[in-house]
Amino acid sequence: MKKNNDWYFLYPGIIVVAVITQVPFLVTLVYSTLRWNLARPDLPVKFTWFKNYWYFFRIRDFSQIPEFYHIVWQTLLITFSVLAICTIVGFLLSLLLDHVIPGVNIARTLILGPFFVMSAASGVIWKTTILNTTFGWYGTIAKALGFTPVDLISYHPIAVIVFLFSWRWMPFFVLVILAGLQSIPGEIGDSMKVDGANWWHATFSVKLPMIRKHISVAMMLGLVFIIKEFGLILVTTAGGPGTSSYTLPYAVYMQVFNASNVGRAGALAAITVILTLIGINVLYRSIQKRSAIYG
Amino acid sequence: MNDNRTIEELNRSIRLKKTVNTTFLTIFIFAIAIIYFWPILYMFLSAFKTEHDAVSPAIFFTPTLETFKKVLGDRNMIGYLFNSLFQVIAGTLLCLLLGVPAAFALVFGKFKKRATNANVHLWFITTILLPPVAVIVPLYTLFQYLNLIDKPIGLLIIYVGFHVPIVVWMMHSFFSDVPLSILEAADIDGCSRFQQFFLIAVPLVRTGIVASGLLVAVFMWNEFFLAFNLTGNEAATLPVYMARFREQQGMFVAQLSAASTVVILPAVIFGWLSQKSLVKGLTAGAVKG
Repeated sequence: MKKNNDWYFLYPGIIVVAVITQVPFLVTLVYSTLRWNLARPDLPVKFTWFKNYWYFFRIRDFSQIPEFYHIVWQTLLITFSVLAICTIVGFLLSLLLDHVIPGVNIARTLILGPFFVMSAASGVIWKTTILNTTFGWYGTIAKALGFTPVDLISYHPIAVIVFLFSWRWMPFFVLVILAGLQSIPGEIGDSMKVDGANWWHATFSVKLPMIRKHISVAMMLGLVFIIKEFGLILVTTAGGPGTSSYTLPYAVYMQVFNASNVGRAGALAAITVILTLIGINVLYRSIQKRSAIYG
Repeated sequence: MNDNRTIEELNRSIRLKKTVNTTFLTIFIFAIAIIYFWPILYMFLSAFKTEHDAVSPAIFFTPTLETFKKVLGDRNMIGYLFNSLFQVIAGTLLCLLLGVPAAFALVFGKFKKRATNANVHLWFITTILLPPVAVIVPLYTLFQYLNLIDKPIGLLIIYVGFHVPIVVWMMHSFFSDVPLSILEAADIDGCSRFQQFFLIAVPLVRTGIVASGLLVAVFMWNEFFLAFNLTGNEAATLPVYMARFREQQGMFVAQLSAASTVVILPAVIFGWLSQKSLVKGLTAGAVKG
């Protein structure tokens, strides 16, 4: 038996990833129990147990729900709306792109485009060339049709963000789901035609169950991508107006870089990670249940 | 005779119907694709406009390269561009250097405990789930302490740590396609593990390495959150430049479009080139399992 040196292949990767991603996360957990404000060097850093968490969770007065709960709600609303839209519309788009038409590869490539565009740039493009009420396409078309364009970014920030997130990430869903559709053997389509299955039946009772693994992969990875998204919010609504389009990652950013409150930012970051893990777990379990039904 | 003609006519009408259907479908699909891609397409068009033309949304105009010249002549822009190139090239190479051998060992390695391969693989994947906000606070305070804020090397270290798991995830599915028997044969012939890796496994997964490299490069090129928070003026990358563009240059649509085109184009082209292997690498492991 030769000396086993397989670990040599593995150690460097494990060490680098652990030191750069795992250790700081543990430090975040430690920070979340400290009273530590960078803007107040006069106050000594002090261990305060879970006071930072309590600061966010506490409800003093039930007629006035604290901001934290609004932010959590907005995060959930945005994330799950985007996930639903991307999955459903992405599936329908993939069905369309699965057709054999001349130049279908060009159409696929065009739809895939936004996935590779950096979110900071897509946000700026949408904000200036499309959504702008005076110079953008939205404003021009609305005026041509006789409407007065309202500034969507200030009046419907959440809707704009959901729309932009979906636009940015749907191509990824299409990419994965389309690959699934194309892995369905051609004979199955032929035999469905012979059996006289209608479109609805063929799509939702035959094709959909066959590609559920692709859909679940798209949803899981998509969820991870969507939760991390930050640039689009910063350059379009900047969390505003007020805090009405804050998400948890954005709130963490504001706690560190505006309020300089390391302790509270740590607590918020920890809450974000816990919610992320719960969300992924719930999604994973519901997908597992589904697959049990279809066998 | 008569029968033959009717069948022929029937065939022709079916074929005609099919052609009409396909034509409509083609138009419909292309309309959707173009609308979907429109913001990017329009940005690309506006990049060739003068500032005066760009004020109103119009498709027809006389193209000019003036705006491009202006944007590329901006010394700031060149600085950001070089920072981005440094991160992407150095970062991608380091990620491949760390990630490819790790994925190889996860697929073919034999460890004392059987479950080690699966467990370490799972651990790598869970680190992908970790949002960057979870680590930004300690990194920021540590970087301040070590004087790494706004240093390219600081950002590079973080990028490598965050993108190695993606390489491992992708390469795992590519290595899984390499037949074990080839490596076993090499083992019997007296090849060491390192020889097996470099001489046999790596040449077989070339496309996979290119695809993971391109994907990671695109991710780093586009990464915003860490770059925005950990860099200032010296080490900032192009996404930061794009976010600042609006604050500084305001409503210069043509300039904005030209800058965005320069910034976006490499990522979009690399992405398109790698899309086939991308799907395979991202889904294969998960779909099979």
